[in-house]
Amino acid sequence: MSRIILEMGTGNDLYGQDYTKAARRAVQDALHHSSLILFRSLGYDHAEMEVNVTIAVQQPDQVDAGLVAADLPRGKAKVTVVKGGLDVHDEDNGTVSVIATAAVEACLDIDPNDWVLS
Amino acid sequence: MAKKRVALELGMGTALQSQDYTKAAIRAVEDALWHNSLTMADAFGFPKEAMLIDVDVAVQRPDQVDVAKVAAVFPYGQATVRAVHGGLDIPKPLKDGQSAPTQTIVANAAVAVSFDMEPANGAPADKKPAPEGGAS
Repeated sequence: MSRIILEMGTGNDLYGQDYTKAARRAVQDALHHSSLILFRSLGYDHAEMEVNVTIAVQQPDQVDAGLVAADLPRGKAKVTVVKGGLDVHDEDNGTVSVIATAAVEACLDIDPNDWVLS
Repeated sequence: MAKKRVALELGMGTALQSQDYTKAAIRAVEDALWHNSLTMADAFGFPKEAMLIDVDVAVQRPDQVDVAKVAAVFPYGQATVRAVHGGLDIPKPLKDGQSAPTQTIVANAAVAVSFDMEPANGAPADKKPAPEGGAS
């Protein structure tokens, strides 16, 4: 398996302190800054793609990884949640805004011997 | 020649104060590029310099974009930049005594990455991907 792209994004939940919501928004941000056109132009099957998602938030145990995995439109998704991201505490108003970071790695079984530059 | 498009990267950039369309365009391209790390050249065993990069930047005044400065953003590959009409200008609220509003500028960028590539002759038939179509 070769990694063909790493997509990065951030998402937040400003008022609800919902780490899963922030994580899902981070994944959407990561996904929608690129399009993997090679599946169409080179004839690879995107069902064969492996998608490794890493979510970073301050309270990893609060993330429903199954819901995050269900958001991935193609390929075989695996979601790992680690401690990271950022919680922003507003002491004056007693609110916490949570920020999630998402890294989405797409991997495909490409044999470099199958292709040459023209 | 078999130019194959392998990826598309999308971004947005703004110029809030300067009304500089080139600056907004550069920020849009950087937003497109730095949300992603493309490792396809390595996967195919090609040098990064073989990447063919076709860039569309869309702003309301495409004639104001210095496309050479936008092309200079790319660290490697062969970039071709085209400025087209699009993006968005948003007029700012008028200040006292001001007759014409200044604009906040939004630029959109689409960065298409291709290789001039073809199936290797020696590739086993059962492993050689279909040249066109396939599952999508």
